[in-house]
Amino acid sequence: MAKLNIDHVNKSFGDNLVLKDLAFDVKEEEFVSIIGPSGSGKSTLFHLIGGLYEPDDGMIQLDGKRINGQKGAISYMPQSPSLLPWRTLLENVVLGAEIHGKMEEKTAKSMIQKAGLSGFEHSYPHELSGGMQQRASFIRSLLSPQSLICLDEPFSALDEFTRLEMQKWLLDTWEQHQRSILFITHNIEEALYLSDRIILLSDRPATVQREFKVPFTRPRDPSIVLTEEFLKMKQTIHSELKVLL
Amino acid sequence: MNNVIQKGWRPTSVLILLLLFWELSSRWMGIPEWLLPAPTAIVQEGISGWSAYAPHLFSTIRLTLTGFTIGSAVGLAVATLLHLIPKVREAVYPLLILSQNIPIIVLAPLLVIWFGFGVLPKLIIIVLVCFFPIAVATMDGFRQTKNEYIHYMKMAGATQSQIFRKVEWPYALPSIFSGLKISATYSVMGAVISEWLGANKGIGVYMTLASSSFRTDRVFVAIFFIMMLSLLFFLLITQLEKWATRWKGENARG
Ligand SMILES: Nc1ncnc2c1ncn2[C@@H]1O[C@H](COP(=O)(O)OP(=O)(O)OP(=O)(O)O)[C@@H](O)[C@H]1O
Ligand SMILES: [Mg+2]
Repeated sequence: MAKLNIDHVNKSFGDNLVLKDLAFDVKEEEFVSIIGPSGSGKSTLFHLIGGLYEPDDGMIQLDGKRINGQKGAISYMPQSPSLLPWRTLLENVVLGAEIHGKMEEKTAKSMIQKAGLSGFEHSYPHELSGGMQQRASFIRSLLSPQSLICLDEPFSALDEFTRLEMQKWLLDTWEQHQRSILFITHNIEEALYLSDRIILLSDRPATVQREFKVPFTRPRDPSIVLTEEFLKMKQTIHSELKVLL
Repeated sequence: MNNVIQKGWRPTSVLILLLLFWELSSRWMGIPEWLLPAPTAIVQEGISGWSAYAPHLFSTIRLTLTGFTIGSAVGLAVATLLHLIPKVREAVYPLLILSQNIPIIVLAPLLVIWFGFGVLPKLIIIVLVCFFPIAVATMDGFRQTKNEYIHYMKMAGATQSQIFRKVEWPYALPSIFSGLKISATYSVMGAVISEWLGANKGIGVYMTLASSSFRTDRVFVAIFFIMMLSLLFFLLITQLEKWATRWKGENARG
């Protein structure tokens, strides 16, 4: 049984048809990336899975249960960090867990350290850089208790080096805790390095344009990005994307 | 500190010049004492008359604080209620805004007819003048909460009460404080005016007595203390605000 099943979902805002007959699934403990043109409706898809809006048509299933319009089923990292300005970094990263009555302060502190943010536990968001805020938002989603994690361009504001560290960390946590991950990115290399499967969305209205299975074995070493096979796949996806743009 | 001196010296010197002019003109131009007493005479009365007006002053302070506290509590409660129950808001909010156009003071005679000359009508006046600015500012604060935060909270599975307590309430704090600051000044004014309507104690009473016996110096003393009271109250709330919204830093609302 699939962890998440997107079953022929349509969604429009007024006359603007955003998702059209979108269908794919995420298996248990699978890491799936979504790539698509800007404005195609990737964030909207997450809003639907998170229950913020209801699809006009079709069904979203989590663990075999219909979750159309049902909130709180996923652990979520929005595209903009959305940290609460009156909470310190530490208070912000535990928010997702706190909503479900869990206290995760100890884990939170060690994660903050891992993300290279130690010393800033008691800083307010306006005192943090964009990249630091993004990492905080990332930690917040990891600390949330739900078993499907939806990350909306989590590393877009990070420099190459920090991004690599965060990717490595994400893979580690994922391998340890075996949760399922749905991951939006604009970066083909990132998608290839991280995921089991890549779903390419078309321009608006978004449908599944193509799916790529990523053949590399795990655990993956960051150096695979330099192998011939990797570059070839990257090129394939790239040319497919170019058709869309 | 340097900044205060740099910005403050001009208005301060103008003030001193004005006082000097006032003092000299009352001395040399023979303006009668009952018309416009000299500043020094006012200060003298302020010092020597302390024991006479101190009870009045404290009575007004107590009245102001009680009225302000009740008024703010009612304002916050009403704002919360209207915010959380949209149906009630739709029905009541326009009326609330309309009623802001009624100068509360004109209701005072009615209140006296209904409730007599005790503390109750006075408290009602102060509560009424405090209540509107706080309720309206608070509701605006709630409604302006960034969608981004609400969306995150909803998707994370937060209940309506969690969203209210953890997001809307703190987000509205700066607005609430703007409301409180307006109400603080209003409440002092409300207290004095309500005392004019009839009371046996209070700075308003002291003022009426002074003016009817042409003790203009005492009227000025009363005015001075009313100003000081408003100012102190305002400063107190500003300090509270600084403390309560210390997360804001230099650039407002992140
Ligand atoms: N709440 C909304 N109301 C109206 N239109 C919306 C709403 N949310 C999204 N849209 C529209 O849906 C379309 C897709 O937006 P979405 O944010 O999902 O794109 P995206 O693929 O995430 O883009 P990007 O890669 O730039 O983040 C856009 O045309 C946008 O205007
Ligand atoms: Mg997006």
